[in-house]
Amino acid sequence: MAFDLTVNGRAHRIDADPQTPLLWVVRDHVGLTGTKFSCGIGQCGACTLHVDGRAVRSCSVPASTAIGKPVTTIEGVSPDGTHPIQMAWKELDAPQCGYCQSGMIMSALALLRDRPRPTDADIDARVTNACRCGTYHRVRKAIHLAADLMGRAR
Amino acid sequence: MNTDVTRREFLATVAAAQGAFVLGFWMPEKAQAQAPVPEINAWIVIDPDDTVTIRIAQTELGQGVWTSNAMMVCEELQCDWSKVRPQYASANRDAREKAPEWTLKVPGDGATDPRGGGEPTFGNRDRTGVSGIPDSLYRRMRTNAASSVKDGRYYLQLAGAEARERLLLAAAALWQVPVAELTARDSVVSHAASGRTTTYGRLAPRAAATPHPRPETITIKPPDQWTLMGTERKNLDVPAKVTGQTVYGIDIRLPGMKWAAVKACPVYGGDVKRYDFDAIRSMPGVRSAVQFPIPDPACTRGRIFSGGVAVIADTWYQAKTALDRMPIEWTVPPENAAVNTSMMRDALARAIAEPGRVRVNEGDVDAGFARAARIVEATYSTPYLARARMEPGNATVLVTGDRVDIWIGDQSPQETRFSASKITGVPEQNVHLHLCHLGGGFGRNGNGPQAEHAIMIANQMRGTPVHMLWTREEDFIGTTYRAMGLARLKAGLDADGWPIALDVRTCMQRDGFGPDASFDVTSRYYVPSYRYSSHTTRFHVPVGTRRGVGQAAHEFYRESFIDELARVAGKDPYRYRRELIARTNLPYKADMLKALDMAAEMSGWGTPLPRGKARAIALEERGAEGNGSATISAMVHTVSVSRAGKVRLERVDVAHDTGFGLVNPLSVKKQIEGQITWFYNDAMHQGTTIADGHVVEDNFNRFPLSRIAEDPPEINIRFFPTSHWLVGMGHDRATSVQSAIGDAIFQITGKRLRDLPYSKHDLSWS
Repeated sequence: MAFDLTVNGRAHRIDADPQTPLLWVVRDHVGLTGTKFSCGIGQCGACTLHVDGRAVRSCSVPASTAIGKPVTTIEGVSPDGTHPIQMAWKELDAPQCGYCQSGMIMSALALLRDRPRPTDADIDARVTNACRCGTYHRVRKAIHLAADLMGRAR
Repeated sequence: MNTDVTRREFLATVAAAQGAFVLGFWMPEKAQAQAPVPEINAWIVIDPDDTVTIRIAQTELGQGVWTSNAMMVCEELQCDWSKVRPQYASANRDAREKAPEWTLKVPGDGATDPRGGGEPTFGNRDRTGVSGIPDSLYRRMRTNAASSVKDGRYYLQLAGAEARERLLLAAAALWQVPVAELTARDSVVSHAASGRTTTYGRLAPRAAATPHPRPETITIKPPDQWTLMGTERKNLDVPAKVTGQTVYGIDIRLPGMKWAAVKACPVYGGDVKRYDFDAIRSMPGVRSAVQFPIPDPACTRGRIFSGGVAVIADTWYQAKTALDRMPIEWTVPPENAAVNTSMMRDALARAIAEPGRVRVNEGDVDAGFARAARIVEATYSTPYLARARMEPGNATVLVTGDRVDIWIGDQSPQETRFSASKITGVPEQNVHLHLCHLGGGFGRNGNGPQAEHAIMIANQMRGTPVHMLWTREEDFIGTTYRAMGLARLKAGLDADGWPIALDVRTCMQRDGFGPDASFDVTSRYYVPSYRYSSHTTRFHVPVGTRRGVGQAAHEFYRESFIDELARVAGKDPYRYRRELIARTNLPYKADMLKALDMAAEMSGWGTPLPRGKARAIALEERGAEGNGSATISAMVHTVSVSRAGKVRLERVDVAHDTGFGLVNPLSVKKQIEGQITWFYNDAMHQGTTIADGHVVEDNFNRFPLSRIAEDPPEINIRFFPTSHWLVGMGHDRATSVQSAIGDAIFQITGKRLRDLPYSKHDLSWS
């Protein structure tokens, strides 16, 4: 039942049922635990990562759907936490418990790829991850700051 | 000295520290290379390169305690803040060592003495660790009641000061100069007369080896001497949280570890009748099934949860998949299985009509009612509420013959240590609890049985590390609930609309927390005759301390009722509140007036708003009834309601007291922002119902969490100083969202709603 998966640019041979949700393959077979489990039904977004550049709630898609497509997790955003979106998050001290923040950042990053200057309405529509600590106020500011930093870098 | 810390514990503690090793993996062979460095005292280790490790005895769950606790130590230590590294304190050492003598006495003269240690709350130790632990090494390891700063500040400051003094004494001995001629700053000790300097890193071994001769003479800095405390500091745990490197309990991986997925009987008090492991035995990765009983109530603060069964497999997904297919039959107590929410509401309504326990009876309430020009009466209700932290309950446990190791995010490790000992028979001194960050807390979750489940399972699999992880649905079964509540408030108003008599009745189940909050001792708003009684009934749903505890529901009742009275009196709700506070002789009356005035002014109170928009104000206080620690704020919420009935919290203006000083104002702001979201959810969305004895809302599709689209676009926070130490910031701020949205709905739609959450009501208007 083995299959190949490319995560953060590295090829992995996965010995698991390909119907296993991508989340658990990433956490338990690839060994990257930054992507989080929370609801298991695609509601909260804590498990958000990118498949082929698109934000995906990985608890609710089989790993087989990612075969042959690049998967990016929070660990792949930058090697050292210096991606503009991470710099913006740190500048605003956005996380509290931080558990949802990997998914939040991955959703925001997918938005910023599609809309480099997102409006508040864009953020409302696209960043639908749940945060129980209530970091939304800083997350919104951080997305706008990230847009500024990424714009400057271009 | 930490020489008696075993190598293994050292490794595990380091492995749980941020960024020390490959995330979440316990790698003893790597750790071997690092030799333990001598510590100055139990809180402080200084490496030769001046890296300062601060041992944190509370759990970081988003409230910023890794940073604020470190700030309190480092204010006195006077070290280089850029080289500070927090690390969890050892709960095992806490079981084996006594606190230093110099931490046992609170300096100063209580909550109103700026030079003192404030008003920490230490009860007598009881064995379970539920009450205070005055004399174990790290004193208070609980993370609860918003009290990490209030209780820990003086001894954390003392710990920093004791270490600083010993470093100075070490330099004095080294240079043979009087200690009074030395200064310490940014991890450097200087002797101005001779121009000599040296670093903390170089002095540390000597300081570590030399006790302070008279530690009882060491004092703490009052707020006017703070240079680090009181400044906005970015949280030290944040960088690892934007790269996925943070180690939560769920991320722990050990060599040979197996995973456990659990099903507990959904009806509390129920247990497993039988299960058919043979039906799933051959599924991939499956190893075994392990049954466990209802957790011993001695381990769960008397709460009765359920018995259950775990499937053990190589991966958690395999375990969960097999468990879902395993036939299980339950034994359910019929009296519990017969319970549903409407019966519970009826029971509360009956109990509140009975004579309750009268807690306050000032003046003559009945005479007041008899001569009142008008009687106003209202009944409010609040539902059961789950905490629903984002990280589902989990723990990794290894039980061997004479030792238990537990890796867990836990708000009460001293209680969990007790549970581990009780379940396994291993003495507490041999329980090694390795704290991890928590993916949200919102109430001491040690009183839910996540640790107990894992320990009971691992105890039947001795020698194998077992990682037990709840599904989201199990997390909703395993958490304790904020008690469902009912309140009946009745006021007699005089001809001018001022209250002359007030009768308040509150009702919740007998074991609910905070039954007297907000109404105890005295009414906050002035009334010559005041009676308050609490009423109880018995329910089987396990309840606990959820964010806000009793304050959250009770401030909703009180502030909603004041709004209703003001409307009946035809008076402005801000000025009505102001006048009623001004008439009291409460010790912090001026602070409450300041909060109301400042919030009103910030919000543009009284300036016109378009149709469909309204402002509402409310007072938030904890401790205003006494003259000890208190936290006082007022908020104005600007709310819109569309004709279709869609509510939007548009803007929040917050006036908040600082007491004598906030440790980290940045964390305080984040706490206020977060609690606005929290109580917005309580007000608008969340409610837990019971059907056939079990919780109905068991995932986020039924227990909604607001998203960024509902976050208020504008939050303004201003602080004002007051002359007392704060109670805390972590849990009962922004309770005003509840009453304020209610009053705004009334202003806009004419509908007065007294039953939370509001979203279950039709809010449309025309």
